[in-house]
Amino acid sequence: MIIGIALFVFPFIYEDRSMLILFTQIFIFAIFAMSYDILLGFTGIVSFGHAMFFGIGAYCVSVMLKHHEPTMLLVTGAISLGVLFSLIISFVVGLMTLRLKSHYYAMLTLALAGLFLVAAEKWRTLTYGNDGFTFQVPEFFHDRLHFYLVCLVLMVIVYFGLKRFIQSPLGRILLAIKDNEQRAESLGYQVLHYKIIASIVAGGIASLSGSLYALSLRFVNTSVFTMDITLDALLMTIIGGVGTLIGPVLGAAIIELAHHWLTGLAKVHWIFERWLILFGIVYILAVMFFPNGIVGSVRKLVSKKEKKEDVSTSENIVKEG
Amino acid sequence: MNSLLSLKNVETYIDQYHILQDVSFEVPAGEVTVLLGRNGAGKTTTLRTIMGLNPPKKGEVAFKGAIMNGLPPHDIANRGIGYVPEDQGIFGALTVEENMKVAMKKESDDVMERMEWILNLFPDLKTFWKKPGGLLSGGQKQMLSIARAYVNETELLLIDEPSKGLAPIVVEKVMHSIQEMKQKTTIILVEQNFLMASQIGDYFYIIDDGRTVFNGRMQLLREDESLRRKYLGIA
Amino acid sequence: MELFINLTINGLATGMLIFLLAAGLTLIFGLMSVLNFAHGGLFAWGSYAGVWLYLLTNSFIAGIIGAIFIGILLGFITEKWIIQPVYGNHVQQILITLGFMIVLSELLKVIWGPNQIAVTPPAYLTGSWEIGNILIIKYRAFIIVVGLLMYGLIYYMLKHTKIGLIVRAGVINKEMVQSLGINIKRIFLYVFMAGAAMAALSGMLIAPYAGVIHGNMGMEYAILAFIVVVIGGMGNITGSILAATLVGIIGSFMAYYVPELSLAVNMLIMAVVLLFRPQGLFALKG
Repeated sequence: MIIGIALFVFPFIYEDRSMLILFTQIFIFAIFAMSYDILLGFTGIVSFGHAMFFGIGAYCVSVMLKHHEPTMLLVTGAISLGVLFSLIISFVVGLMTLRLKSHYYAMLTLALAGLFLVAAEKWRTLTYGNDGFTFQVPEFFHDRLHFYLVCLVLMVIVYFGLKRFIQSPLGRILLAIKDNEQRAESLGYQVLHYKIIASIVAGGIASLSGSLYALSLRFVNTSVFTMDITLDALLMTIIGGVGTLIGPVLGAAIIELAHHWLTGLAKVHWIFERWLILFGIVYILAVMFFPNGIVGSVRKLVSKKEKKEDVSTSENIVKEG
Repeated sequence: MNSLLSLKNVETYIDQYHILQDVSFEVPAGEVTVLLGRNGAGKTTTLRTIMGLNPPKKGEVAFKGAIMNGLPPHDIANRGIGYVPEDQGIFGALTVEENMKVAMKKESDDVMERMEWILNLFPDLKTFWKKPGGLLSGGQKQMLSIARAYVNETELLLIDEPSKGLAPIVVEKVMHSIQEMKQKTTIILVEQNFLMASQIGDYFYIIDDGRTVFNGRMQLLREDESLRRKYLGIA
Repeated sequence: MELFINLTINGLATGMLIFLLAAGLTLIFGLMSVLNFAHGGLFAWGSYAGVWLYLLTNSFIAGIIGAIFIGILLGFITEKWIIQPVYGNHVQQILITLGFMIVLSELLKVIWGPNQIAVTPPAYLTGSWEIGNILIIKYRAFIIVVGLLMYGLIYYMLKHTKIGLIVRAGVINKEMVQSLGINIKRIFLYVFMAGAAMAALSGMLIAPYAGVIHGNMGMEYAILAFIVVVIGGMGNITGSILAATLVGIIGSFMAYYVPELSLAVNMLIMAVVLLFRPQGLFALKG
């Protein structure tokens, strides 16, 4: 909470453009990573194609702004359109693929995202392929501070919105599915149904983050559809803490900051160019030893401590008794 | 008592479910011990626990005096325990011959002798030697599974519900061969079919809700109808 | 006509390379239910290590042996330290093998640099034979022969050796194999190492064929291998070689006529197979 307020005040005290951009980037990826957590952490679905929705959002906004007068109304419209597309596509994809077993699903999403990438690369009249194109953003966003605040607010809204979502009866069913799919099924829940809902929610929010990403760069190219984008979400979610919602936010911050910092060090030694290797290793260790990531592990530690304290207090009571 | 296998206060969990809560029994060498009990009482889990497929969380499983807790299944098998699971576990795409070969650790004289003996007991297997295991009849699958579990230097056979799903006449055949096998090896038999169990069993243990609740010589159960009613719900 | 034959030969060669990559994947999946997303990394490592040795010693054979060796070594490491610790948990397995893929391909760039490396075939495999109007490039023929030989070898191993028998039994029922006194974990390790060695061999062979190797080649070809594994049916070696041939030939023809769609068509086939025949196009029965 304190951090939240600090983040609102921060740009007014400390005026550094590159920091502002970096933080905006963090908020955007935090939104993206949270959407991924809905799949991985709360429903137990492994998707390797989440970049698909990120890319749809990015291109929707970019193409609209390229061809029309950039107004706020248009931006809102374009974002909504992207979200709508993503909702439809995630529904169709979910309907087709979510009945498959986990590894098949992972592969199929990988392939589908690959298809989108290829399509974006080939449809050059619209996308200008890998070269990409720049576009104008509305007047209001010319001030980086405005955009910073918009992204921050959206991140907070998404966070609380998703929190409500997972604490709703529906969210509990998703968790039950993650825990034990067969049991949820035998309790009479239409597992496929709920999985599709989860993937629609995740797809829509991913699209939102993609739109913001394009707006922040005022540029788009096919890299928004690449595996790297999905990998980012994976790393952030796993390292931050799967199934904790705040974890992916933390993960986004860690990875973006480290990325920024380590790329800066690349001038010192080229090995820092390969910062991803470090995260790859941390990621593997996290999957193996801390499947709940930073947040989950800290929570566990805290609850253990509390339990210990409980025990010691009860011991005291016994002694006194 | 000269027991080949003994379980002491064994507890087994499957996921978070506490399936075996307190199972203890002794299996005397050279006899047939029958595990009886209702569906879901924990008989199959008991066999899987002995085999190391669902390792025990508490208690002690000892074979020939050596404790086996925590050993991997292949280690347990190699100490001389053969397992015939409820679904027979036949490798359907493999021929009868190949099914036997998977089991044969070596081709020593002893193993070949066992092979010959068991194939004489189940001549059907010889007839369908080159046929895929999946195409055998239910009874033949049962025979193959038993033969496969026996062929290595097996001293203890765990057989899970051999009569399940078989026609009465086939059941009789299978039971007859189990009786024959008694001369060669010690057997633990899980069986719902009390009539069959009572004919070939020497000892029985009743498992209820994951606990061994009653035991004795088979004769006792054969003669005392009230006991049968109490523990098995049959007359 | 010449064009047709040339494109077919080209497709066959590519198909064989994909087959080598897919063979390990499909066996590992069939036996261990592990979909190894790091397989492309093993492939790329075989390629780089092999090429490095080839350029160093000027001996193509040394390169091949080096690639196979690094494949076996990495296979051992991957199975023992990456896959075994999370055995039995599908989600963790998928996540961890993908993570290892990142590490492998980044490490590659650390060691050999991020730039691509040019490779040519050895002198005795350079050039072509002319039969009538048809030009057969020697190196392509060589790849096809190696691919077929490897298929023959795997087939023989599976059908006629004890370990092959155990692998086939393990694909059907792992628990029963263990209950018959076989240490299945050791079999897993062997199969994984063999699969990794084949991936590495494929990586080495592809280098002179493609002319250059680069750091991201792993994922690129791994996707093709995944497609092949799905089309051929997971765990099915014969299905894999048929599917690999199909994917190779489609790729070769599409690349000539409509290059934009070549990968898309393969992915589409996979998506369709996954949706309507998840057991694979060439599986006999469920």
